[in-house]
Amino acid sequence: MIKQLSITDKRKWLKPSILAGLVVIIALLPVIQGSPYILHILILTFIYIIAAVSLRTITISGQFPLAHGAFMGIGAYIAGMASKWLGWPPWLTMPLGGLMAMGIGMLIGYPFARLRALYYAMGSLFFGIGVTYIIYAGGIWTGGYAGLVGIQSMFGSSKVAYYYFFLGLTVVCLLALYRFEFSRIGITLKAIAQSHLVASSVGINEGWYRIMVVGVGCFFAGLAGAGYAHYNTVLSPASFGFMATLWLVMYVLLGGIKSFAGPIIGTTILVLLPEFARDLKVYSPYLSAFLLLIVVFLMPQGLVSLPKMVMLWYSERKKGKKITHVSGN
Amino acid sequence: MELIVATVTNLLILSSMYILVALGFAFLFNMLGIPNFAHGAIYMLGGYIGLALISAAGINQWAALIIAAVVIGAFGVFLERFCFRPFVGDFNRIIMVCVAVIVILQTSVNIIVGTQIVSLPPFAEGVLSIGLVSVSYERIATFAVGAFLLGMVIWFVNRTKWGQQMQAISQDIEGAFLQGIKVHRISALASFIGCALAAIAGCMIGAYLSLGPFMGDFMLVKVLILAILSGVGSISGIFIAGLVLGALDSILPLFISGAASDAVAVGIVVVLLLIRPQGFFGHEAEM
Repeated sequence: MIKQLSITDKRKWLKPSILAGLVVIIALLPVIQGSPYILHILILTFIYIIAAVSLRTITISGQFPLAHGAFMGIGAYIAGMASKWLGWPPWLTMPLGGLMAMGIGMLIGYPFARLRALYYAMGSLFFGIGVTYIIYAGGIWTGGYAGLVGIQSMFGSSKVAYYYFFLGLTVVCLLALYRFEFSRIGITLKAIAQSHLVASSVGINEGWYRIMVVGVGCFFAGLAGAGYAHYNTVLSPASFGFMATLWLVMYVLLGGIKSFAGPIIGTTILVLLPEFARDLKVYSPYLSAFLLLIVVFLMPQGLVSLPKMVMLWYSERKKGKKITHVSGN
Repeated sequence: MELIVATVTNLLILSSMYILVALGFAFLFNMLGIPNFAHGAIYMLGGYIGLALISAAGINQWAALIIAAVVIGAFGVFLERFCFRPFVGDFNRIIMVCVAVIVILQTSVNIIVGTQIVSLPPFAEGVLSIGLVSVSYERIATFAVGAFLLGMVIWFVNRTKWGQQMQAISQDIEGAFLQGIKVHRISALASFIGCALAAIAGCMIGAYLSLGPFMGDFMLVKVLILAILSGVGSISGIFIAGLVLGALDSILPLFISGAASDAVAVGIVVVLLLIRPQGFFGHEAEM
């Protein structure tokens, strides 16, 4: 009895300690390899990880929004405009960007809650395109086609400070989203995804939950966008357009939409891969495309299912050997 | 007067081209429920193949148009067989395949041609002037090709055996199977026709406006708007939605300048979608 308890105790601590060790290793990276270029790529990875994981959080309620790039853009432009025209400090504009994205997401979520499945995806896609056009049409306020320049930077030109800031922000956001998904609300959302009729028949206010999860997801997307604005100090509408949204969806789907770790793995691989294959120059997009095709044809559950698939293949091979051995005798 | 004529011709050309591309998307979407996000990239590739045939191989323009249509149609059959058919009903995997196809096509065009804007030589030269009104033959040719093909598609879908089999499949795929319709053969045929139409539209737009590796993204948005507004299972709905969208895109810039007119057009589309989520003419998709 005591032994069993100790085993479960160990199991309980194994996963968090591995994750903490991983975070420490990532935190030590600037000490080992401090090249600004690698730090820049990793900072971008952190920003997109927040956005991709928040997109997956919305999908657990059975909604598939195709406007997440636009919500990043809303957060980025609100923060950038508040910083440039009002002179607000980044510590104020970043939460403001997140909250504005959340507000707009919930306002949009109210009429969109009556659209389902494919129609929800398409409606949100058109909304995202509309946001891009509004940014283009914003004239001097948003910078229009030329982009918004002159946003205050957070830490000057030191990449290491940014690196630790975004690492901390990512860890906090991931913990918050993890707690959210495995709380009572998250379970309710999964129930809605399975059958909205059954869920509402047991007294779940389906519409409110669907709007709320969109708000939560958009808050983190806006926060990531606002962080991007203060890191990059230059914003271009094209980086929040239709293709940006599609790539965020790819980050989620490549890693695996069914698991929390999926978007993290997917983002890391898809952002880092073209950078490590810089020798290929113009040919490097092919690499991402072929990776997507490999995952589509061989791993329906995404890259997260790879260890499980390898284990299954290994055990089946072992079994197969045994059987042939027996029949051979 | 000049303005009115220019607007009306612009409306007709834009509408006919939007409808041509959207029909190919709608065929697959209606029959198998596949949202082919790569259709914009296929349209772009059609334009570039036309350009390559005319400028590099030196073939007659109208012949190049037909060859490009056949080549892209064959590519469409390949896509339908190996990239879409295994994943029917699985939205996530279809969208991944489509993004992979988009990336491969855009990167290839980028490497071979480069990102600079190019255009096909005009299909017709000169200006037709009747009294005060003058219209270039290029515009007339573009619209004539579009209208002729749309008429052919209407005839094909409504009057031929294959077209009626397509309609049967989009009404009820299992029922069509039970009636002995060869669903896979018909869907391959629909993919061939749809991609060929997209290629022809790509060539015509390449001569009328210009070609760029990312022109497909813009067209894809228009195509999605048409297909969703008209609803699933409706071919005639696409014509009306295409005229409405062409009107919005050609008339709104007269009153509102720049990107604001696009924003208003998309806003109107979102409102229309919220009023009737299942589209205006067809039935709701089961996905």
